[in-house]
Amino acid sequence: MTQGTRPRTPGPSSPGPSRPRRRPARGAALVRLRVGFILIAMVVSVFGARLFQLQGIDAKAYAARAEAVGLETVTLPATRGTITDRNGAPLAESLDGLMITANPTLSAPDAGPIAKIVASRLDVDYFEVLERLRKPDTQFQYIARRVPATEARAVVAEIENRGYTGIDTERDPVRAYPAKDVAANLLGFMGTEGEPLAGFELIFDDLLSGKDGSATYEMGGGQKLPLGDNSVVAPENGSDLQLTIDRDVQWYTQRVLREAVQGSGGESGAAVVLDTRTGETLALADHPTFDANEPMLSSPADLGTRSVSDVYEPGSVEKVLTAAALLDAGKVTPETKIPVPAELPRQDRVIGDYWDHGRLRLTLTGVIAKSSNIGTVLAADEFSPEELHGYLSSFGLGQKTGSGIPGESRGLLPAWEGWSQINQDTISFGQGVSVNALQMATAVNAIANGGVLVQPSLVEGSATTSDGTEVGTDTTTARRVISERAARQTAEMMEAVTDPEEGTAPAAAIEGYRVAGKTGTAQRVGEECQCYDGTFTVSFAGFAPADDPRFLVYVVVQDPKNDGGGGSIGGPAFHKIMSYLLRKYAVPPTGVPAPDHPLEW
Amino acid sequence: MSTPLSQARTQFPRLAEAAVERARLTVVPRRTQKAPRVPFVSLVSLLLVTGVVGLLLFNTSMQQSSFVATSMEEQATVLAAKEESLQMQLEQLRDPQRVATRAKRMGMVPASSPAFIRLSDGEIVGKPLPAEPADGMRINPLPTAKPKSLRPDPVIVEIEQPKAVRKADRKSDRAEAASANRADAERGNRDEAREAGTKKQKPQQSQGRTR
Repeated sequence: MTQGTRPRTPGPSSPGPSRPRRRPARGAALVRLRVGFILIAMVVSVFGARLFQLQGIDAKAYAARAEAVGLETVTLPATRGTITDRNGAPLAESLDGLMITANPTLSAPDAGPIAKIVASRLDVDYFEVLERLRKPDTQFQYIARRVPATEARAVVAEIENRGYTGIDTERDPVRAYPAKDVAANLLGFMGTEGEPLAGFELIFDDLLSGKDGSATYEMGGGQKLPLGDNSVVAPENGSDLQLTIDRDVQWYTQRVLREAVQGSGGESGAAVVLDTRTGETLALADHPTFDANEPMLSSPADLGTRSVSDVYEPGSVEKVLTAAALLDAGKVTPETKIPVPAELPRQDRVIGDYWDHGRLRLTLTGVIAKSSNIGTVLAADEFSPEELHGYLSSFGLGQKTGSGIPGESRGLLPAWEGWSQINQDTISFGQGVSVNALQMATAVNAIANGGVLVQPSLVEGSATTSDGTEVGTDTTTARRVISERAARQTAEMMEAVTDPEEGTAPAAAIEGYRVAGKTGTAQRVGEECQCYDGTFTVSFAGFAPADDPRFLVYVVVQDPKNDGGGGSIGGPAFHKIMSYLLRKYAVPPTGVPAPDHPLEW
Repeated sequence: MSTPLSQARTQFPRLAEAAVERARLTVVPRRTQKAPRVPFVSLVSLLLVTGVVGLLLFNTSMQQSSFVATSMEEQATVLAAKEESLQMQLEQLRDPQRVATRAKRMGMVPASSPAFIRLSDGEIVGKPLPAEPADGMRINPLPTAKPKSLRPDPVIVEIEQPKAVRKADRKSDRAEAASANRADAERGNRDEAREAGTKKQKPQQSQGRTR
């Protein structure tokens, strides 16, 4: 049994006879093994050498080549923020746009039919396109720029369907201003390469522009590879900017202003509409202005915001500030009796009124209603230069309004230390100081707002300008300038200005409403001689309803040629704008009868 | 038989012979129980085939959806652009200038003085006045003035009025219309002159003149 169950396979202890048989087999295996090793080593060293060549010697070149073959990177453009009016109506919006370009070496043979298609569907000139399509010695010509993407694609598709070649498109974002010239003076405009050049587009560019993103993915046969490398950096779209402007009011104001300027043969004009209580600017119009879609068609001088950049002497409108200050200081009442002589010699000059009169017995109300320079000067004698200067500068004269509009000038209010008697006299009725239109509107608005001066704002909420200033309704400041009583009395005096018989601006009156206002016809400093050159600045500032003001409207026309004054040029314009505002915002008359301050004694 | 064993036997006492006999190792015969190969092979090939086919289908569907994604992205871009341009058209239609132009063409003018009806008691607040053509305003800029050389003086030819005027004559109708127009224009001029007259003020050259 033991014998039979023994293993046949010889163990190490097996005796000799099997050894000679197995030795050659084991040797062959070893040989095979070694040969194998050598082969593998050779192959691996080839791999190693190749690896070294790829990774060690010119890895970057290969990596770049590999990327170039499969990877595709596209820019994901950020959309520029929309600028809207207070009700959300867009004033400036961005569209996906394309430029249509041509390669004349390919397009020249079919230039005729291509030009016909392009010219019939887009707003371009047939002959110009034809010339560009045939231009020799170039491979790149613009055919149309900033075309809305849908239109551009349709045109290119039609050209390609007809079998013509050499036309291509490229991204070219469109900035559209649907209301054209409405608020263009504030919005500014964009250059041909989509860069902001003026206005809010420029100063709020950081806010509006956003940040482009990008997407990188592997492409094969024009399609994305499903499991290939894929990385997307999402674009950050620009923020929207909401203005306090009301598009319809702005439009109406611009048209009324244009009519006033053109009707009087004026050189330029500005109009401001403020919400009395909040200082929100509902309209800020300039004339001449421009179409923001086509800024290059207008004169460069018209591309700014004259209403804040240009200064002028306000003239008689400033008398209400003097009167309000005198009332606040308790030096006068609306019925203070002022004997007004025919003319008033002061220092080396003679101050006169615009109409010839003998000796008049006017109350302060009468002085304002009839806009008497002599009366104002005599009343202002109650003030020392320091006091008058203090009041005027707290009304904001000589300081920026802080509205955020680029290029704002601060105007000029001379330091009181240097005032001579004649300086104080002229300053009291608005000559010898200079303001911009928004500044003057803000100052008069302090009277309308019960003596509290609110900073004018143009941006709803808040926004940061490119120089880091925060502006907007959230940051609006208010400060008391005169007492509420003084403000009310001044407003009552200003109501006499629109009186049909006695006032200087009966055309500004609105049937059924109490309207307070003040005309201004100021001598203008000419640009060439830097002296009063015989031209005038006419203006009208007013608010309604006088006993519970809601809106302030200020209209200025520079250098009218029709011999008109603030009442005849500014008055009707004020009437139109104010009636429109009262109707649009449904402000009924208060129904309280106006106080009857006597004008004479 | 073999020497080592017998040596061991001689070296050790025979005491443990039985135990040694019992403990002798034997080789277990090889089990020749054969598992059926078919199920295993078919399972493996099934797995392999399903795997390969599944992967292929998965890949195809991935590719397919990638195509769909690409084309849908393109469509989304096109539609977004279309929406934007339609939105822009809408804004162009809402442009106050356009609305005003249309309103003016229909003969509308802005009302001159605002008035309201209070719904609670039906009372009229404010003084309503009828809107008149004079309230209309110019909504387009004045045309640029032509240079003098392009504005020849009008040639005025005076003719005698014909004695017999037929009623049905078109010419008389036209003349009537023309005279009506002229009358209108004259009235307008008079109005303007009156307005200007009331506010016309004498210029004065003294220093600090202001109105």
